[in-house]
Amino acid sequence: MRRYSQNEPVDAIVIGTGAGGAPVMARLAAAGLSVVALEAGRHWAPGRDFATDELAQAKLFWTDERLSAGADPLAFGNNNSGLGVGGSTLHYTAYVPRAQPDDLRLYTEFGLGADWPIEHRELEPYYDEVERLLGVSGPTPYPWGPPRAPYPLPPLPLNGAAQLMRRGCDALGIRTSPAANAALSAPYFQEGIGWRPACTNRGFCQAGCSIGAKGSADVTFVPLALSAGAELRTESFVTRLEIDRRNRVVGVVYLDDGREHRQACRAVFLCAGAIETPRLLLLNGLANGSGQVGRNFMAHTGVQLWGQFEEDVRPYKGIPGGLISEDTHRPLGADFAGGYLLQSIGVMPVTYVSQLARGRGLWGEALHEHMHGYNHTAGINILGDCLPYPHNYLELSDELDARGLAKPRVHFTNGINERRLTAHAESLMRAIWARAGAGDLWVFPRNAHVIGTCRMGMDPATAVVDSEGRAFDLPNLYISDNSTFPSALSANPALTIMALALRTADGFLKRRQRMEA
Amino acid sequence: MPDPRDPADEYPAGTVRALLDTDLVTRPTRDALRARLDERDSRRPRFFDIRALTTLRAACARLVPQPGRKDPIDVAGCIDERLAAATGNGWRYDSMPPDAEAYETGLAGLDETARERYGGAFHELGALRQDEVLLAVQRGKAEGEAWERIPAARFFEELLAECVEFYYGHPLAQEEIGYVGMADAPGWRAIGLGRLEPREPRLADPAGG
Repeated sequence: MRRYSQNEPVDAIVIGTGAGGAPVMARLAAAGLSVVALEAGRHWAPGRDFATDELAQAKLFWTDERLSAGADPLAFGNNNSGLGVGGSTLHYTAYVPRAQPDDLRLYTEFGLGADWPIEHRELEPYYDEVERLLGVSGPTPYPWGPPRAPYPLPPLPLNGAAQLMRRGCDALGIRTSPAANAALSAPYFQEGIGWRPACTNRGFCQAGCSIGAKGSADVTFVPLALSAGAELRTESFVTRLEIDRRNRVVGVVYLDDGREHRQACRAVFLCAGAIETPRLLLLNGLANGSGQVGRNFMAHTGVQLWGQFEEDVRPYKGIPGGLISEDTHRPLGADFAGGYLLQSIGVMPVTYVSQLARGRGLWGEALHEHMHGYNHTAGINILGDCLPYPHNYLELSDELDARGLAKPRVHFTNGINERRLTAHAESLMRAIWARAGAGDLWVFPRNAHVIGTCRMGMDPATAVVDSEGRAFDLPNLYISDNSTFPSALSANPALTIMALALRTADGFLKRRQRMEA
Repeated sequence: MPDPRDPADEYPAGTVRALLDTDLVTRPTRDALRARLDERDSRRPRFFDIRALTTLRAACARLVPQPGRKDPIDVAGCIDERLAAATGNGWRYDSMPPDAEAYETGLAGLDETARERYGGAFHELGALRQDEVLLAVQRGKAEGEAWERIPAARFFEELLAECVEFYYGHPLAQEEIGYVGMADAPGWRAIGLGRLEPREPRLADPAGG
């Protein structure tokens, strides 16, 4: 790996190596720029370090404590942020639907939420590119949305939960399709990365893929970046951005093993996710002329319905999110803005029982009895819109973490739109599961994916970054992660974060060329 | 036909332990599960004092009963270890104090409620009375000064979630529910509905039906 001097300014520092940072790192290095990436976690060797054991794999989760406030306090840790090279892609389910064009025009369509300052067609070539690089397995043609390039690989096989959801949806006339998953249905080669093996149906995506079949950033964009000359510094936790008198970031201060280091730079890409990104800005009092840092916090509606079936499901096998329906993208006669997608879900036992404890409060003999049916359990859930509200935001608390930095406090309460959408989804999912033959139904209320907090927009008074991710108040600071999303989208965020990251990097490179010319 | 909802129909014992010695399990997986199997509750408490640990053990025994298990899974010991290491799951309810304080207050609260209701410490009560106390805490209707400092229902939720995570993370509990997801070294081919591979255990019907 190439190494850069800490005193010589590098062209760019990338903070965070997940879905937002890794693509930037790869793109800038490929353009010949000097790039240093700072990652708070370790660089795992999945074959050696990853056990098929949920408790052992908790090491992939960002476990610095966050305070969850509001009427619907959010779970963090395994639910949201990742620790290690690859960030949350280490434990994402690899479910990678695209946003649809109208997802970016929620305000125009409903008069609620916000429009994106960019068009869907500007994202499409980047979606194509990311899907090719990750090796997404999915159906061609894809039944929903505008015409699109074929997926690079055919879909993965359906597991028990996926077959059950198809059975229930067929009975109700709801269209389904094998989902797009960033896990390889066949061995796959990419220049600068090499061969990756096909998925072996371990079903363990949410706690780390040990063979590199899942398209996490550590086995895709990061090796690409390293082969193009980027430097990766792990276990490096950024605490400060240094600003000069011309209002430019000139250095980044980080802790490695308790020691403070400083890297000089010409530009910074902040890609630490929708909690740590605004937290760092608030701690430093930066880029917040709008007062919007930490505001517009959103979390997808993600209610789950679980049931037990006569048949053996063995929910630990196969890609967890095997099936999709987007027939609910804009449900007819709905009393809410936006919409949702439906997804079948497999589950590992510790995750399942933890939700059972929190959501249903079962204990004692009743718990044993229910868990006795674990092998016959299958779930279905949604991924739906969430509007921004003034009452949902992130702030710094006055409680300090082990590094002496203020812990973030996140306020979250579902609004009327989320409650109506969830009620619609719950009643539909109950119908689907009833037709599929489920018994012992129970609902786990849930919001997932943290979004917002550094909104992208056209107006410096109401947004933190412009349409290319550049901070209005700090011209050489860029943000590339889920914090810039103006609306939540009715699609899982990872693919869009990666596509947007490449677009942000390209915008930066073009501006740089113009300035040099 | 064996019925997953009939607790009389059981998965065979020893499945996970037998698989651990085969090449169906990867090395990191084997190391993680072996270490857990080798833990014994003779571990000395590192975080709790004896009194709090006694209360916690009694509560765990009701939340996740282990009748007939000669060597019970030491759920309370796992919680003690976790608190001693000062690690966590990445978040906590804003209405709750830090984990260490929450556990100390909550366990004292179980004793307080037990004394108010039945005149004895929680661990001294019979199973039915212990369950009454736990249920009152779960419903947020427990008596005691502790529950003015921390919300009882939230404490119960956190305690229960941690108990069940440690319990079902243990290979012996995984045998109970027929989970063999750890035996994935060769991958899975039979993943469809109702399809099993030879290494996946079947429920045994004790009536032989």
